[in-house]
Amino acid sequence: MIAFIAKRLSAAIFVLTSISILVFLIFFATPGVDPAARIAGRNASQETLAQVRATFDLDKPLPERYLSMMDHLFLQRDLTSYVNRGAEVWPQLIQAIPATLSLVIGASIIWLILGIGLGVTAAGMRKSWVDPAIGVVGIIGVSLPVYWLGEVVNLVTQGRLHDTAFNWVPPLGYVPLTENPGQWFLSLLFPWLTLSLLYAGIYIRVIRGEIVGLMQEDFVKTERAKGASEKRILLKHSSRMSLITVVSLFGLDFGALVGGSALLTEVVFGIQGVGRLTFTALQNFDLPLIMATVMYAAFFIVIANAIVDVLYAWLDPRVRRG
Amino acid sequence: MTDREPAVQIRSESPGQIARATLAHDRRTWIASVLLLFIVLLTLAAPLYATYISKTDPFISSINGTTVIDGKEVLVLQQSTEGLGIGVNPIGPNWRIGPYALGADNQGRDVAARLLYGGTNTLLIGFTAGFLTITIGTLLGIIAGYSGKFVDSFISRILDVIWAFPVYLLSISLSVVLLTSGFKWGPISLEAGSLYLPILIIGLVYVPYVARPIRGQVIALREREFVKAAIGSGAKNRQIIFREILPNVFPSVIVFIPMMVALAMLTESALSFLSIGVQPPDASWGTIIKDGLGLLYTRPLVALMPGLLIVVTAVSLNLLGDAVRDALDPKARMRGAL
Amino acid sequence: MMKRSKSLAALLSLAFILSACSSGADDQAGSNAQAQEGALAAYDETKAGGTLRLVAKGAAGTLDPQINYTLQFWQLYQAAYDGLLAFRKVDGPKSFEVVPDLAEALPEISNDGKTLTFTLRSGIKFSDGRDVTVADVKASFERIFKVSSPTAGGFYNGIVGADKCLATPATCKLDEGIVVDAATNKIVMNLTAADATIKYKLALPHATILPADAPSKDAGTTPIPGTGAYAFASYDPNNELKMVRNKHFVEWNRESQPAGYPDEIIYSFGLTAEAQVNAIKNDQADWMLDSIPADRLAELGTNNADQINVHTLTAMWYLPMNNNIAPFNNVKARQAVNYALDRNAMVKIFGGDQLASPACTFLPPGFPGHADFCQYTKGADTNSPATAWAEPDLEKAKALVKESGTFGQKVGIVVQDDDVNKQMGEYIQSVLNQIGYKATLKPISSNIQFTYIQNTNNKVQISLSQWYQDFPAAMDFSYILLGCESFTPGSDSSINMSGYCNKEINKRMIAAMELAVTDEAAANKEWGAIDKAIMDEAPVAVLFTPKLVDFLSKRVKNYNFSKQFYMLVSQLQVK
Repeated sequence: MIAFIAKRLSAAIFVLTSISILVFLIFFATPGVDPAARIAGRNASQETLAQVRATFDLDKPLPERYLSMMDHLFLQRDLTSYVNRGAEVWPQLIQAIPATLSLVIGASIIWLILGIGLGVTAAGMRKSWVDPAIGVVGIIGVSLPVYWLGEVVNLVTQGRLHDTAFNWVPPLGYVPLTENPGQWFLSLLFPWLTLSLLYAGIYIRVIRGEIVGLMQEDFVKTERAKGASEKRILLKHSSRMSLITVVSLFGLDFGALVGGSALLTEVVFGIQGVGRLTFTALQNFDLPLIMATVMYAAFFIVIANAIVDVLYAWLDPRVRRG
Repeated sequence: MTDREPAVQIRSESPGQIARATLAHDRRTWIASVLLLFIVLLTLAAPLYATYISKTDPFISSINGTTVIDGKEVLVLQQSTEGLGIGVNPIGPNWRIGPYALGADNQGRDVAARLLYGGTNTLLIGFTAGFLTITIGTLLGIIAGYSGKFVDSFISRILDVIWAFPVYLLSISLSVVLLTSGFKWGPISLEAGSLYLPILIIGLVYVPYVARPIRGQVIALREREFVKAAIGSGAKNRQIIFREILPNVFPSVIVFIPMMVALAMLTESALSFLSIGVQPPDASWGTIIKDGLGLLYTRPLVALMPGLLIVVTAVSLNLLGDAVRDALDPKARMRGAL
Repeated sequence: MMKRSKSLAALLSLAFILSACSSGADDQAGSNAQAQEGALAAYDETKAGGTLRLVAKGAAGTLDPQINYTLQFWQLYQAAYDGLLAFRKVDGPKSFEVVPDLAEALPEISNDGKTLTFTLRSGIKFSDGRDVTVADVKASFERIFKVSSPTAGGFYNGIVGADKCLATPATCKLDEGIVVDAATNKIVMNLTAADATIKYKLALPHATILPADAPSKDAGTTPIPGTGAYAFASYDPNNELKMVRNKHFVEWNRESQPAGYPDEIIYSFGLTAEAQVNAIKNDQADWMLDSIPADRLAELGTNNADQINVHTLTAMWYLPMNNNIAPFNNVKARQAVNYALDRNAMVKIFGGDQLASPACTFLPPGFPGHADFCQYTKGADTNSPATAWAEPDLEKAKALVKESGTFGQKVGIVVQDDDVNKQMGEYIQSVLNQIGYKATLKPISSNIQFTYIQNTNNKVQISLSQWYQDFPAAMDFSYILLGCESFTPGSDSSINMSGYCNKEINKRMIAAMELAVTDEAAANKEWGAIDKAIMDEAPVAVLFTPKLVDFLSKRVKNYNFSKQFYMLVSQLQVK
């Protein structure tokens, strides 16, 4: 067990280090992103530029700058932004976490319920019209660009029909749960629905496909031969085995979302979460903030993967020996 | 008593023939194929449409241009005359077969013509990137799942790095680099507008999405009796992979294909949001959605149409995928799915 | 001397503004100040109170007034900080005038314009309760160099001792440049040469007077105490900025620092422009910073006309062309571009002729030094210019391209990647293709495009940019953007993006700046002639003069528009 954890830990560090180095190199390889002139201000004199360079250590060689940044980011935790000077990066990130967590957890509950519920139903009723109907719903979910859907939702709820059907919809933005639970819920309702639609579509199709495939497996045939009803097979055995695919997919998706990959949803709905922070950092070419948000996201990916592996072993005993 | 019935002649068919027959009898195959063919033909007919029906060049801005509607000549971009007289709106759809059937965009170009031209780029990127993802993902998934231990760890870490990598940063950076200096590596030359760029980025980004589940399946398969038996009987790894693993993984891969193509098309539109990939004045459904978002409150059709087209294409792809998967799965046939 | 030139300047600016007014539909529809010319209406106690809610897509960087160089925050500094002088806080053309702020009166000029003597007002307190002293004044000017303010080298290098401060900012001492006497409250500023624009520079936020113990580095998100009617309470760049009434403020000069109406000002960040429009329509916000998206203009102009205010800006949208690399190192090619572009089309893209006017001159209408001429319209040329732009001349453009020998060359147009800029870029690409080039559009993130196009290493051939005035003087446009001194190859800070350097014209510009000290009228006439001479060589293509649209919620009253700093935030009434 300890060996397992140690292995996972070293793997995590490897991934995080590689990503940080890659991000650093890519940033400085891009022409035009040198922060000195942007920090110094428009039409700064050459002496001012030189001063700014020195203040921000931009005239030192790359490896030294990298180590200095990593030091300030992880050890001293006082790394400041290139764009919003004086604003420390960690507090910005930490402040943004509750909003993203609220968005992602809520959305994932919805899409799991929809995905598993409808997926199982579609598999069970595959000889009737219900199956293709649910299939179409699933496909449409997968085919809609999230940011486009979000803008259309806003067009309707905040714009066109705001005064009539949707006047209960609060203004765009995140209201902390501790501040006002009612508004928290309402302001997240449409972001939840929008975000979960895409994932529900994927999960419906994947689960249905998995179950249908499994219904033909040998061990299922054994159950049938023993006299178990289709329904019992469906619910007890196939669902459990299809969980393997669902678990690994969910691990990836949830990990990525917590790390901030719902950025377009957050931008469109004005939610001040980690995704939005990442997006702003990228638009601003603000390297310290980019580095912090990327490391944060990568951390969750790695953790999520590790957890998925453990669950895998638990769900399918045959894998434990692997 | 009656005569004995003559023995029923058993015709032996190959699995491939069975599959094709199943496919041919499946209604979904026909619906999907017709839809896909229709869309592909439409996009290929773009030059004809532009020349004979829309009669405008969809790649030239026509800010002060005019067109004839109901016998009257109207400006394609009309300044508001009500209230303060601020704002300029493109004309809306006139729903007739002719110029500006679906209206104009912000540059005064014919939306319908651009949709057709755009389809070519989107389909190209979607399919190529999708297949790239499937190929690399399946390959890595099988190798990782089957080899175990060090190779598995190594590949899994690479997948982690790819998945955790800030794709948008890479895309933005790459586009700025290419803007400045282009990229030359032997015979491969990439300009900023080259379609290879979005294809490569999208293709790589989703590799872990395919590889991890495949890897999981392969790990499970590896422990199955028939695989162990094969190993025990001394079969070589390559044979096992091709004979036992691949066919069992194949159905999952088939299901992934249409999903990945659809995801690729959607990611292409997200990248268009960031001005990477298809460059103006060329179009893709993604760039038209982006243009349309700027017109959402006045001409929602410009953003809706490409979205709809993406949906229809994705639906057909998935239907086809389902039909193919069921055709390849003999057990489905025995269930009486014919 | 100063007083005479002040009234002269006032007269001149008035004259120019009046001529601008008659040439275009300037001006607001909708709620307007009941101001007398030259002063705000008397303070109305009954309207004080409430919380003003402003929204923007993002914050504007540091809160430090001596470093921040954005219009977004300069608009707020008007209510929180003061310098020795200030721009008059009023609606209309008089807002270009400079009035005394922390100084008792405009300075006495002596020593051929090289010495300015101020007397500091007594009794003014910072928002933390301390008195403002002459020591604070000296320290503030030294701080400009210590924190490496962007304009330290550009605007304030005329102060004696500035050169040493630029070289070693950490130990900056202006003992000879700024001589203060605590007993008499006198401040004597010594310049190395007379400067006609020094009064403007002293009225900018970079010359704010701060407490002497303000940190010697960028204050970032920590507010520094100021003397204005409001103080910054908190600043979170991802969330919101809060301003509250300065408890220690007592109005000493209504012209420079008027008492404000809202009790609190909350500036929220994070909404997209569309969302901002919806927020104001739904009465969830009072004013938005970002431009109204093109697809909402007509709707708002029709349904919310009385909440919209439109004002002409002293600004321009233009295309710097790289004069040093192909194809635009050839003057005929540059002139071809000028002839080919249909300014009316670009005005349409911007939102229609109520929101912008075609432009042909480098100095915008209403600006000191502006002269009416246009060489690049149909039927005109450099020898016989017209008075204004009317129509493009594609045929002439195509002919010029052929004559220049640059036909068929590849051209990359670098623009910002937001909607309006990209739309403009697509149109420009279309036109360049029509006249014979192979044009590609290169959109780059708005945050780096400005520095990207300045650096010659990026080999930018043509780009789309905007320029807004720092202060109302011709040199702020012509000399800053096209002077030889503003061109530094290989640097991200080389604001002369065209790389234009005409030694003759440069000499004329410097002579005009010197002439302005004694005879502003003659100097402005010379700037007009210089403008024509520059545009004969067409280093850039000027496109149009934009107007600003302010969209307010229904409850907001008392809108005042300063030509220098735009909407006067502290004067809005929300009760």
